[in-house]
Amino acid sequence: MASNADSALVEHTSLGRLPILEAMRNPALHGMGYQPPFSQLELGINLQHQSQAFVPEKGNGYTLPHLKVSTFHPLNGRSTVWGEASYMTGKVHDIKWNSTSDYHLLQPYILADTLGGDTRRERYSVSGGYATSANRWLLGAEMLVRAEQEYRSRDPRMRGIVTDLTLRQGCGYELKRYRLGAAVEGNIYKQTNSVAFYHEEGVIPEYQMTGLGTEYSRFSGDKRSLYYDGGGVAAMLHASPINHNGPYADITLDEHRYHRKLAEYNSMPLTDLYNEHIGATAGWKKEKNARLAVFGHIDYTKRTGNEHIGGTSDARYFPVIACLTMYKSHLLDIYAGALYGRGNWHINITAGYREVCEEYVYPHRQMDASHVYGMLQGQCFIRPADQWLLTVDAYASHYANTGDKLQMPLANMDAAFTRLIQHKHQFAAANYTDFGAKLRADYALKQTRYGLFAAVGGGMTHCSVREHQTALHCSIGITF
Amino acid sequence: MKQNILSILLITITVLLTACAPVEDDIFTTARITITADGDETITSVQAQMKLTNVNTRQVVTCADFNGTSATVELLRGAYQIDIEGVATCLSPGNATRMRQFRCQSDYVEFIGRDINEVTLKTIFLD
Repeated sequence: MASNADSALVEHTSLGRLPILEAMRNPALHGMGYQPPFSQLELGINLQHQSQAFVPEKGNGYTLPHLKVSTFHPLNGRSTVWGEASYMTGKVHDIKWNSTSDYHLLQPYILADTLGGDTRRERYSVSGGYATSANRWLLGAEMLVRAEQEYRSRDPRMRGIVTDLTLRQGCGYELKRYRLGAAVEGNIYKQTNSVAFYHEEGVIPEYQMTGLGTEYSRFSGDKRSLYYDGGGVAAMLHASPINHNGPYADITLDEHRYHRKLAEYNSMPLTDLYNEHIGATAGWKKEKNARLAVFGHIDYTKRTGNEHIGGTSDARYFPVIACLTMYKSHLLDIYAGALYGRGNWHINITAGYREVCEEYVYPHRQMDASHVYGMLQGQCFIRPADQWLLTVDAYASHYANTGDKLQMPLANMDAAFTRLIQHKHQFAAANYTDFGAKLRADYALKQTRYGLFAAVGGGMTHCSVREHQTALHCSIGITF
Repeated sequence: MKQNILSILLITITVLLTACAPVEDDIFTTARITITADGDETITSVQAQMKLTNVNTRQVVTCADFNGTSATVELLRGAYQIDIEGVATCLSPGNATRMRQFRCQSDYVEFIGRDINEVTLKTIFLD
């Protein structure tokens, strides 16, 4: 017989919830998104290894154990609270050309050197939310806090200390047979970033990178202390049929900006990065004996980088005499998919097109790559005995190159930068085949609301440049 | 409460729709560098190699195309260091013409304006 925890687990992790995942970012809808209470304490580890780093700035693998506790608890028929707290610590292996944390947010405006090495990461994150309903209205709010530090204990001794705060407020309204949702999000981001050398004879230059192998020469070398000041806003709109039968749609707009400033020159602004994103989904779903959904999705992200031109210095103060837009990139991801499920199993198939274009305006540099891809996901819940529940997840995907371009002033480039760009282009333009599986076993303790679980998962990615990636995930914990 | 949320939503959407990244695509400018001499002599023409080094990016632009005593260069807006070396045709007060070797140098010149940026440099004669 299924325990409450089991049915809650199915409800919280079912692939069948794929069409509403985007709407769950709205705290008002998240609070009404699940029925039974579900809490989980998890101790786990994530490992990844790449035979050669696909993106040198991210390293060639990691070993990251974590401890996480999460809860979702309806208080009564009208209100819900949820929260999560986690601690992660571990090592990221062989990072090169990056001495800054949160590369995915701040690239290409990072501090970098040619040596690199392993870094240690430590992350504390806490989030919590509350949702309630009044007549046809749903209201909710959520807060997410992340504090993270990344450092290296041998030269070059990079250190990045990050604080990241996100606040979300949302509402929903039931209009006839539809539930409409709207939410807004505000984010504040700060990072202090520095690199130190303890051995004087081993000092190497730290580059203020400005995109596609360019650097801000005047403030590179021995200027190794800076900070990032950023944040942004987002808005989400959502419409979905209450009885899960009919068309549905989501749209998300967000804009984030990150300013890089030199700490040792009176906070002189070096670069500004603007990240604008629009994501939209439209689909149709039907739930009766079987669950069926077909959907189309588009994601468009535009990144614009402005460089501040420093004037002549006056007592370590550099006035900004101009600001030029030198870096431009966009990412387009468009796909169509179908989800089908019946009882304890679901299958999802997706086909799409993805394009990444980066440009440095002058001297002109350009790196583009586009892929078509297909992805197949499946999930199955198996109950071998009354107290046991097995969850099996599997996926496979293939990305095939449809075009790429590299244009660089190679004759005027330093050999180390040339190698970096050629490496990045090689992996950006490669074909990828990715597959993996995960098995989770839950055991419900008799006559209590507690359960035990263990999960193990693995994945492998083959790259057409004869390199590969392996990933492993293991975790144990209790549910209650 | 509901009205507050709707107000916040409307403000945020307005901010998002108007908060596009400030783009400055006008990155190039024209610099006209003119060479003059101190003292009684007048320079009538020069043949010289000019090197403009961008102070921030260290990119170098070279030019040897002088028209009379001036050269016009298209370059990235910014601050530059200028080095010029060459030969000038000098006219003395007595209308005597002679060729003189010279160099000009400036550690910091701003070429920021969107139209033509004019700068005049004094020669240092080497003979």
